[in-house]
Amino acid sequence: MRKRYALLSLFLGSLVAATASAQPGPGLTEKERIAVVQKVKPSVVAIFARGGQGGGTGVLISDDGYALTNFHVVQPTGPTMQCGLPDGVFYDAVLVGLDKVGDVALIKLLPKKEGAKFPFAVMGDSDLVREGDWSLAMGNPFLLATDFTPTITFGLVSGVHRYQYPEGTLLEYTDCIQVDASINPGNSGGPLFNMKGELIGINGRGSFDKRGRINSGVGYAISINQIKNFMGHLKGGLDSDHASLGALIASETQKTGLGKMFVTSILEDSDVARRGLQLEDELVSFAGRHISSVNHYKNVLGIYPRGWRMPVVYRHEQTRKEILVRLMGAQRKVIDDPTQPKDGAPPKDNPYKDKDKPSKEKPGKDGKPIPIPKGPFPQGPMPKGPPSPAAKFFEAKPGFANFYFNKLERERLMAGFKQHGDFTAVDGNWMLDGTIRLKKLRTESKARIEIVDEKAEDGKGTKPIVKLRIDEFPYFLEPFKEKQEPGVLKLPETSGGLLSALYLYHRLMTQGDKGFGKDFVYGGYEPFYPPPQDGKTMPNLGSLRVDCEVANSKLGPYLVKWFFDRTDSKLVGFEVRLEENEDPCEVYLSDYRPVDGRLLPHRLQVMYGDGHYGTFNFTSFNLQGAPK
Amino acid sequence: MEIRTHKLFGIGCLLLVIAPTAPAQQPFTSVAEEVNRKVVKLFGAGGFKGLPSYGSGILISPKGHILTCNNHILSSTDLRVHLYDGRFYHAKVLFREPELDVAVCKIDDEVDSLPHFDFAKSAAQPMAEVGDWLLAFSNCFHIATRDEPMTVQRGVVAAMAELRGRRGVFDAAFSGEVYFIDGIVCNPGAAGGPVTNRKGELLGVLGRELKSTQTDTWINYAIPIQAKADIQREEGKTVKIDMAAFVKESIEGKYRQSDPNKAKKDKGGYHGIILVANAVGATPPYVEEIMPGSPAAQAGLRPDDLVVYLDGELVPSIRLFRDVMRQVGPGQEVTLEIQRVNRLLTVKLKLGDQPKEKASK
Repeated sequence: MRKRYALLSLFLGSLVAATASAQPGPGLTEKERIAVVQKVKPSVVAIFARGGQGGGTGVLISDDGYALTNFHVVQPTGPTMQCGLPDGVFYDAVLVGLDKVGDVALIKLLPKKEGAKFPFAVMGDSDLVREGDWSLAMGNPFLLATDFTPTITFGLVSGVHRYQYPEGTLLEYTDCIQVDASINPGNSGGPLFNMKGELIGINGRGSFDKRGRINSGVGYAISINQIKNFMGHLKGGLDSDHASLGALIASETQKTGLGKMFVTSILEDSDVARRGLQLEDELVSFAGRHISSVNHYKNVLGIYPRGWRMPVVYRHEQTRKEILVRLMGAQRKVIDDPTQPKDGAPPKDNPYKDKDKPSKEKPGKDGKPIPIPKGPFPQGPMPKGPPSPAAKFFEAKPGFANFYFNKLERERLMAGFKQHGDFTAVDGNWMLDGTIRLKKLRTESKARIEIVDEKAEDGKGTKPIVKLRIDEFPYFLEPFKEKQEPGVLKLPETSGGLLSALYLYHRLMTQGDKGFGKDFVYGGYEPFYPPPQDGKTMPNLGSLRVDCEVANSKLGPYLVKWFFDRTDSKLVGFEVRLEENEDPCEVYLSDYRPVDGRLLPHRLQVMYGDGHYGTFNFTSFNLQGAPK
Repeated sequence: MEIRTHKLFGIGCLLLVIAPTAPAQQPFTSVAEEVNRKVVKLFGAGGFKGLPSYGSGILISPKGHILTCNNHILSSTDLRVHLYDGRFYHAKVLFREPELDVAVCKIDDEVDSLPHFDFAKSAAQPMAEVGDWLLAFSNCFHIATRDEPMTVQRGVVAAMAELRGRRGVFDAAFSGEVYFIDGIVCNPGAAGGPVTNRKGELLGVLGRELKSTQTDTWINYAIPIQAKADIQREEGKTVKIDMAAFVKESIEGKYRQSDPNKAKKDKGGYHGIILVANAVGATPPYVEEIMPGSPAAQAGLRPDDLVVYLDGELVPSIRLFRDVMRQVGPGQEVTLEIQRVNRLLTVKLKLGDQPKEKASK
């Protein structure tokens, strides 16, 4: 009676029989239903901690062995686990990525033979799921199946876009799917399928209240669409974080209709504050979804990773405004933050994440997940006994679930990037000529960019120099000179640091990720919004979105995020900043055309803050090799 | 954002009627959407002793009459209603009928043309049968607020039998025939929600969280809308009232509400305690007199004892003492903690059958 809203950790209690009826639902014959079950069953994974202590369920999502499950399933297993498939074969598996707030983990099963293929489930579109749809949950409740054959429970979707409060900041279920298909301890991490056999969610939570920690007709699945947002982070071995806006939003009760959402507090150093959102402004929509209650807002916000940039529509007095907002973290800084404990203790709550709760009538308020079994995870000791064969695919690093997979994804991304041109032979001085249309002038000016190595003053070696000439106005930067004012590094004024950006671009093109040493990490998927070409009015910002893969790098004083098109790994832009919480210089690359067998962007647009600095159009590229 | 596709489910219903066997990818989506417009989320008293402060209700008139369970949340002076489209209203209780365990409330505002169930028409239909499919709608676990749709669950009428349930020491108010449901539908806050057939036609009112007095396990049930109960009027007459009559007369504002205390009075067991006069609103339960030979006399209770706790719960007033004791049947035992001069004593009191003449006031 005290364990309410408990997560489905292992608890072998009395069995409540699944209430799936023998009758097929309308519109679906029994034969069809059996066919769907047979189709998807081979993808269901029974997950066990090595040594047999506990376990749960997972589902394969690719033929090379990647499988989704819950964070709270792999938490007690540690970085390696063992998995049984319905064919009765036992596999070793390794943790790949974590989304602790969303209660999701990605693991990878090791094939018995190199290159052997696994059966897998196809992901559906969970936004198409409707209350009243049929659904199939599969898993290993009560660890019944010693031969790994999943138990199948069948039921209705009881609700969609459900919100369930987190435990602290972790294990928050946003925009989740509620089902009456029986979900019990051991089902955690298992798949929820629609009747086409598409994966629409990962089961992981239930409302239990007085009836113990067994199914009481109300289970929840994390929507697969939320997981898709994090899939890049998961595959990249990240220990990812969810988003917060940086402002507190409260609803104003309106009798006659839906509530309006108003800003009641705002963090000064948040991007949303820099973009102009103010106290008492009305939040209209977020990421294209209309916001009319705190639950809506938390649902919509909760499905995005920290750092994503999303369109926000708000009303200031009578004016409707649309802005792109870089989202802050839900947990406090996760990655490489020395203030965070490194021993696996949970990060401190972000006060701005938790306070934006609805007032009186919030749902799920009397529910808290069962406390997660405390384990020194993910950087804790490996389980006792002989090391798992999967252990060689695990590399611990603070801020990462498994750094081994980050390196793997980085290598894959950089290999794709290099397909667009090998610049190793032209790794010396670069001179780019063309024109620039400066936003403030509205006319075209001649422009020349030079990135060159000059002899250092002390005569030993060389130092890089960036020069920019716009008509008769010269700009100059020595990117690595000690003790330079940030203002110098951000030249020209109103560009946010174009000179620095040009140097860093040259470095990536000529030296690749190696030019950034260890501080070049794969960062998962992010949306990217190339501005429309000059002279065109902005349509709604969401329509500009291009899905990218990103890499984050650090070099000297510079923090750089690189955006690569997800379809072909082409570099479509990057952002350079000196501090985490400041506006970066945004560079957008387009109009790629071949020059001497290498693809080069002939257009380069520069944005900073709310403004457009200018657009370069290049007519000539003079790229030299470095003297050997 | 949820206010869309009203036309669509109209089409959906039509499809169901015309071609119920046509293959449809979303078999119950249109039914769920249609029923959801006729249910409300209720918020009122509760939040203690495992009693939720939220519940579910059924719209039964275009002007905002709501049928719900006659439970504790209605005791609030601030009863609130959330409609399917997010509208928010206060409501007041019009009539309660403890013998049917239902009540009718009304939105305390001018509203019109709300989607609703035609109760009289539904109640005139034959009852569902064992084995029939059903859908249960409720705001169990307070999952939804404002315009969020309520939970829909499906089940089967597993049995039809008289309700023998209890919550703690309290017997269920209703003891007539109910639908027992195989799905786990009687969760916190579910009471008062509708149970429909697969076409979305009203069958019953979801019951409370009760345990079976026979098996001591949680039960899931709904009171059929055709339910009837014997109701004692003040003049001592017993009349049979069915839910449809209760609903009709309540909406018309002319239901003859039975005195819930009267109706309940003879249900409680006999204890033989006569308390002091209930002079002020919260007179403490001091014993005035103990009936000779009564269970209270056998337990050793004496005049001037003050009853402090009843089964571990503080009973600060005569009214509360009586309310609680009325729920304890003959043969059941309660534990009293009494203050005698300056000592606290524990007394076990096993209630007997009510004597022919009235023994308690």
